[in-house]
Amino acid sequence: MSLMTMIVKMSEGLGKTCAIFFLTLLFSLPLGMLVALLRMSKNKILSSVVRFFITVLRGTPLMLQLLAVTYGPYYLFGANVSRNKLIPVVIAFSINYAAYFAEIYRGGIESIPKGQYEAATVLGYSRFQTFMRIILPQVVKRIMPSVTNEVVTLVKDTSMAFTVSYQEMFTIGKQIANSQTSFMPFIVAGVFYYLFNLVVDRVMGRIEKHLNYYS
Amino acid sequence: MKKYLALLMAALMLFAVTACSSSGSSDPSVAGRTGFIMGIDPEYPPFSYLGDDGSYTGFDVEVCQAVCDYLGWKLTIFGVNWDEKLVQLDSMECDCVWSGMTILDSMKDAGYVISAPYYDNTQVLVVKEDSGFNSSADLAGKLVAVQLGTSGEILLNEDLADLAATFENVITCDSFLKCFTELAGNSVDAVFVDLPVAASYTKEHEGFKIIDEQLGAEQYGIAFRSGDKALCDAVEKAIAALVENGKYAEIAAKYPDIVNNLLFLND
Repeated sequence: MSLMTMIVKMSEGLGKTCAIFFLTLLFSLPLGMLVALLRMSKNKILSSVVRFFITVLRGTPLMLQLLAVTYGPYYLFGANVSRNKLIPVVIAFSINYAAYFAEIYRGGIESIPKGQYEAATVLGYSRFQTFMRIILPQVVKRIMPSVTNEVVTLVKDTSMAFTVSYQEMFTIGKQIANSQTSFMPFIVAGVFYYLFNLVVDRVMGRIEKHLNYYS
Repeated sequence: MKKYLALLMAALMLFAVTACSSSGSSDPSVAGRTGFIMGIDPEYPPFSYLGDDGSYTGFDVEVCQAVCDYLGWKLTIFGVNWDEKLVQLDSMECDCVWSGMTILDSMKDAGYVISAPYYDNTQVLVVKEDSGFNSSADLAGKLVAVQLGTSGEILLNEDLADLAATFENVITCDSFLKCFTELAGNSVDAVFVDLPVAASYTKEHEGFKIIDEQLGAEQYGIAFRSGDKALCDAVEKAIAALVENGKYAEIAAKYPDIVNNLLFLND
């Protein structure tokens, strides 16, 4: 197999890799905010339950979570395994990344001085207004580097969808490597991931610059 | 500061040296050999798998143990990642790959030393008992799962590509257990797998059947690194001695599913 055919074949899987990436971001970024707010809730029971889930999601391998989401329903209830593997894969990735994003958000929100809330109350802002107009814009600025970190990791983590036989780029690479007894597909995969992350890095850098409106 | 750095480097070097010496048992010479590392797929019953007692067992493992006993070597079993098995063999992580491994021309072309074949294998399709599929033709437009890195996958890409083209798609899983889980969970319609694996799985789990149609014949052998011809000869000779003294047949008797296809016993 020529290098060109290899690249063409693997780029077919790149679409599926992108699908995991974008859908996971779409769901996990807002879900993470919800989890962060629940985690910081004044209700002790609620916050400790959420805290427990975060420890589970951060404390167990993503690979295990993928297996649990995909095959768990079958082993527990005898339910059918999903034919479209994208669904369990995106669910598992979104839940896992939401846990990480939630902690990043929490760090950002808690870094804003208490005085700002007091000042906003004096100025007659409601709690919701304070959060949306004053706190959140500052939080977004502060957490961008950490979020970029996670997003870059996500690009590479998509290769784990292989565990549940989702035919994304890396899975196809492994198949070619195996049938051709060649190491080349792994190098191609490495280049693909690097280029993908180069784009991610540029885009995130652009956003960060855009948010840097005070200096 | 510099002193600590030097100390750290020294420690690292020491570690590197000990790490090298621990893999020293992969010495290619046969004469001074005391140990033998067998590379297996740990999820490939009845040839090699994790037994009820938590240690590796299976036909290939038992034969290898007997070979090592015969030659006075200490056997170490190493579970390889099946689709990387030859890379792991090259990198000295094991001395051979011996685990229901199909002999492929591409292995010989790449220079690996392959033992004489010891087993005739055929591939079959496993379906659910109530599915109503009775031949490979019934599976036209259906999903079929196969284990990545197995000869079944290669067959579907090459010799049986015409058959594979009639399926809706071929799904590759990283273990045959996942293939069967997908089948049980109705996400695929059939699993393409080696006959002995299919036989032992359908015997232990209800609700599955093997389509009575043998697809693609091939043979199993043991792979060694390109320079290890002497090692291969020594192992082959030991196996011949075990066949001679009846030990081989004794082990084979424990694995009724495969005994009919063992070449050394059915000459």
